[in-house]
Amino acid sequence: MTDYKVVGKGLPRIDGPAKAMGKAIYTVDVNLPGMLYGKILRSPYPHARILNIDTTAAEQLPGVKFIMTGKDVGDVRYAFVDTPRYPADEHPLAIDKVCYIGDEVAAVAAVSETVAEKALSLIKVEYEILPGVFTVEEAMKPDAPLIHEELLEGTSAWEDWGVAQKKQQREAEINVNNMSGHSAISFGDVEQGFKDSDYVREDKFELKATAHCQMEPHAAVASYDPVEDKLHMWLSTQGIFLKRFLLSKTFKMPIGKIRIHHTFVGGAFGGKIDLFPYEFCAAYMSMKLGQPVKIELEREEVFMATRQRHPMVIKVKTGIKKDGTILAQDIKVIADNGGYRGSGPIVVFLCHGFSFPIYNVPNYRYEGFSIYTNSGIRGPQRGHGAPQIRFSIDSHLDLIARDLGMDSVDIMLKNIRHQGDLLPNGDRLNSCGLKECLEGAAKSIDWENKRMQFKAQPQEGRYKTGVGISLCAMFSGAMYYPFASAAIVKMHDDGTATLFTGAQDIGQGSYTTLSQVLAEELGIGLEDVHLVAGDTELCPIDIGSFLSGTALVTGSAVKLAAADAKRQLLECAVEVLGVDDIGELETQDKRIFVKDDPEKSISFTQAIQTSVFKKGGNPIIGTGSYKGYSETDRYPSLAKCKGLFTGAYGFAAHAAEVEVDILTGKVKLLKAVTYHDCGFSLNKTIVEGQVHGCVSMGAGQAISEEIVLEKGQLFNASFLNYQIPISLETPESVDQLVATYEPTGPFGAKEVGEGALAGILGAIGNAVHDAIGVRVYSLPITPEKVLRALKN
Amino acid sequence: MEKTINLTVNGETRSIAVDVNQTLLEVLREDLGLTGTKKGCNQGECGACTVLMDGKPVSSCLVLAVKADGKTVMTIEGVAKDGSLHPIQETFNQKGAIQCGFCTPGMILTTKNLLDKNPNPSLGEIKEAISGNICRCTGYVQIIEAITSLAKEKNARGGV
Ligand code: FES
Ligand code: FES
Repeated sequence: MTDYKVVGKGLPRIDGPAKAMGKAIYTVDVNLPGMLYGKILRSPYPHARILNIDTTAAEQLPGVKFIMTGKDVGDVRYAFVDTPRYPADEHPLAIDKVCYIGDEVAAVAAVSETVAEKALSLIKVEYEILPGVFTVEEAMKPDAPLIHEELLEGTSAWEDWGVAQKKQQREAEINVNNMSGHSAISFGDVEQGFKDSDYVREDKFELKATAHCQMEPHAAVASYDPVEDKLHMWLSTQGIFLKRFLLSKTFKMPIGKIRIHHTFVGGAFGGKIDLFPYEFCAAYMSMKLGQPVKIELEREEVFMATRQRHPMVIKVKTGIKKDGTILAQDIKVIADNGGYRGSGPIVVFLCHGFSFPIYNVPNYRYEGFSIYTNSGIRGPQRGHGAPQIRFSIDSHLDLIARDLGMDSVDIMLKNIRHQGDLLPNGDRLNSCGLKECLEGAAKSIDWENKRMQFKAQPQEGRYKTGVGISLCAMFSGAMYYPFASAAIVKMHDDGTATLFTGAQDIGQGSYTTLSQVLAEELGIGLEDVHLVAGDTELCPIDIGSFLSGTALVTGSAVKLAAADAKRQLLECAVEVLGVDDIGELETQDKRIFVKDDPEKSISFTQAIQTSVFKKGGNPIIGTGSYKGYSETDRYPSLAKCKGLFTGAYGFAAHAAEVEVDILTGKVKLLKAVTYHDCGFSLNKTIVEGQVHGCVSMGAGQAISEEIVLEKGQLFNASFLNYQIPISLETPESVDQLVATYEPTGPFGAKEVGEGALAGILGAIGNAVHDAIGVRVYSLPITPEKVLRALKN
Repeated sequence: MEKTINLTVNGETRSIAVDVNQTLLEVLREDLGLTGTKKGCNQGECGACTVLMDGKPVSSCLVLAVKADGKTVMTIEGVAKDGSLHPIQETFNQKGAIQCGFCTPGMILTTKNLLDKNPNPSLGEIKEAISGNICRCTGYVQIIEAITSLAKEKNARGGV
């Protein structure tokens, strides 16, 4: 491997000291002079019509500055999915109807949170309660109450940008009640595939809603300046340019009149992408009052009324040859997206997108539905569909392996994809370390010896152990507004450089890894990089820190910008150093030297001086931009699952060893192994941290995490009752990078930190089966489910 | 109803008029501008608001400010000396124990208390000590590694 100076090293993160000292400013820490505090009134009913809202008493409370309801705002709509087929269906505040418990009804701005809270209790809302639907089965019935009756119109970001295909026909042929999204695709001949198979099996799996549990609650500060007619916002978000776009669209305000300022983000995991009502209301009230307004959600509100992971019912049917070759697969996914569409149509598309890069299945059919129910809204959450689909398919394959007396690893190895494979949609796997990941993980967990499946003797005693394995894949960014990232590298007289990037560091370390990319490319140290980030006014556009695009898309933009600055520096040095071509020069430690004669060199400072004097005053500013794909006409179609999806896939194999207490049913994760292919690790410590975080979150969701709902009412909206992993549950963790090289990524890097969650669920599920000899078909694998499975 | 309390925060004695139902967390963040102490839940369940009161870790969201009258409080802002990082802060950063950083202030103060009391904690004791501090980002692995290496260093130096 090339001997890189800065990338590939486990360097400490550049924002670490500020965070360690309590100096990093998060949105919740922003305090502006004259700031007011906002609170949101929420619906206590899962499905109801609003007959009347009386705010008189609340208005009279001293200290109350503004009260807004849906009437003030009117028919403003926005959503994460906003396409001609799926027009936006969320309102900042309910107009005449509420669709889940927690739905926003009114907002108050007051001199303090206490007064705002008091004012909420004085607002009288008259509701007419409507019948609700709480499961996808109920919701899809022909006579089910409709949650959204109206037919909406909408345009998408892509159309607004003139890059979308013509308006799509609505799918008249699919007549399912409360459907919010539908994806379907098939290739080969599935029925024939089943006929030609030696063995066919079908299973049904179920997964519950889970919470992101970002430690920083959602918050927004808005400050409208009437003099410059500009809206300033501080938001805890994953993508400042997407937020600005959505704000501009909802407020019908020129995009240049909105500025999002930098703040650190205390965790996001997919749950801070969407535009939220509290953000809209803070902005609206600030514009009305000409004073800053801050709204910070309480933990209960974060659980109930931001986003959750989609609960799903997944059916998988597979036909397989005796030798383990998969001939046909039929997959059906039904996702519950709650009271509004959320990311429903996307998640059912992604369940396909994250299923088909793993195994080569010649005859394949996929159909996914997303369905409205009267529960909290479901949106992106780390892996976004991957955990659900990967858990289901690999649990199913493990069951098949057991039926056939085969080793599931052998079946996986026989069917996995390899580097160079062309996926049915046209994506090419330029890098794919699946095989090495799988073999490595199996070896590390001691598969051959620990697998109970082939042991003659059952285990004695109360505690049973077992091992399991599963695979996963993830996009490295995809086509979503604003489609691309750009970066600026500004040189300083002392040879150091400032990176301007619109990327958000949500904890995943992007500020550090992007700075490393700059430093490496330019030939300076990490300590020589200054950073301006996360501000829509100061920074060039950025695709945002979701869909795992930062390393590949923004990383490439930064590398190009650094290369541009470097080229300009070298051009200045050509004459000074007396060479013919910049190809004869190299940079290191803020100096330019002749490759063949390193004694001959000049400093960056000298090169910049030369540039200023001889090149029209050019102080040297490098720019770069990058988009996942250069073609503009092959954007993915959510409904048809066609088009190119992503520039590169990250892969991982997970192996788990568990211990099950058959007396209590409690599952304990003893060891978690992750072999992951992120192409190239830009920062070893950071990549390891991403993997550990994924494993912990995935393990929580496999074993204990579940949003408990009863007729739309959330019963465990607190850390005490929603069981997120704590330190005591930390397993022995092994993670190993399988180095491939992704030609489209900076220094060969691609996605990490999202996909590496998806395999651990199946690995744990399979390990539990290995330990106790019976299957638990639904997540989380709670003690009750284990005991029930054992009893049957 | 207001009451004036005296409290020593990070070595400085302050006299503050507080509302009787204000929490210590609110006083630190809002009245004293010490926003390094974080509010993750406001219910005593996450540990993000941990500060050391008379040397002991407390969830400041559960402590009424009036109860802190006469006490000595250390917040994250008081851990670094003269602008240079405390070894715990330094090691957390070196070992990757900080991601989004929102749990970090509480985690560092809890760690400080652990190592002050017990310079040589076992793995079990480390996990136990931080079990009231939730971290969603790291899966705790690198935090535990950081604390383990701090303990080793301390021992190598014969304790501090
Ligand atoms: S904020 Fe005090 S324990 Fe969570
Ligand atoms: S670093 Fe994000 S919660 Fe711990």
